[in-house]
Amino acid sequence: MSNRILPLELIDKAIGSPIWILMRGQTEITGILRGFDDYVNLVLDDAVEFSPDPRDKSVILKKELKAEILLNGNHVAVLVPGSKGPDDSLASKA
Amino acid sequence: MEEPLDLIKLSLSERVYIKCRNSRELRGTLHAYDQHLNMVLSQVEETITSVEEDEETGEEIVSKRTRNVGMLFVRGDIVVLVSPPLRTS
Amino acid sequence: MRSLYHSSRKQEKLTESITMSSEPKDSTKTPAEQSAAAVIENKRSPADFLKAVLGRPVNVRLNTGTDYRGVLACLDGYMNIAMEQTEEYVDGQLKSKYGDCFIRGNNVLYISSPTR
Repeated sequence: MSNRILPLELIDKAIGSPIWILMRGQTEITGILRGFDDYVNLVLDDAVEFSPDPRDKSVILKKELKAEILLNGNHVAVLVPGSKGPDDSLASKA
Repeated sequence: MEEPLDLIKLSLSERVYIKCRNSRELRGTLHAYDQHLNMVLSQVEETITSVEEDEETGEEIVSKRTRNVGMLFVRGDIVVLVSPPLRTS
Repeated sequence: MRSLYHSSRKQEKLTESITMSSEPKDSTKTPAEQSAAAVIENKRSPADFLKAVLGRPVNVRLNTGTDYRGVLACLDGYMNIAMEQTEEYVDGQLKSKYGDCFIRGNNVLYISSPTR
């Protein structure tokens, strides 16, 4: 057994805290991580979706979902544990 | 209903509405399907909706083209949604 | 018919994996005890979520941005979904209604449940 941390262990440690998800394509989602599985399907609370306006792709629309969501792991590209997303000043500094 | 595909099973030999990628819609009689949602339909009406922009006014023009096909095979990966139209309002 | 067997197997695996990863040191507990422990820790795996929303009103968002609102009748491990009393919203505008509808899982971005 190595002491190295496995990728999904890192995500497990983020349960209960904010997480920022970059999807394949332009969509990004943030929320409080409640759980996930081996396929990286994610359960999020208070999720917020950032996606390009269908009329003008240069405008990013922010949509507060005010709900618990199950995000399909198929389209997940990048996870940023502990970040509240594009608005999070700490994340943009880092 | 145990699993979503049962809804398709119940629609066998019925008229169904299928929404595909790229604004393509199909209406036809469902003869066969498999787990990928590959399907065989007969007496099919295909509708393709396209939006073009008028060069002068910049207005969006929605055009619909339809055509009829006697029998066709739909590859499952382009399917977005399937609905039995008799139960569709 | 693959899915009856396949999806239930997959769901089983989903539940196992999350409880395993949350309690790596304790292998003496039964799966039921482990999932109970997971609930106490306020964790909620995708399998838990799906159990909770079956038969309830949900919003299903596709990759294309289209939303489907209706009652979740059932779903499988591919996230194929059967819905009832479904309303289709494109760019937030109600476009059509379907009594019953099947949504192919690969198009699903997320499923949200309005209340808990």
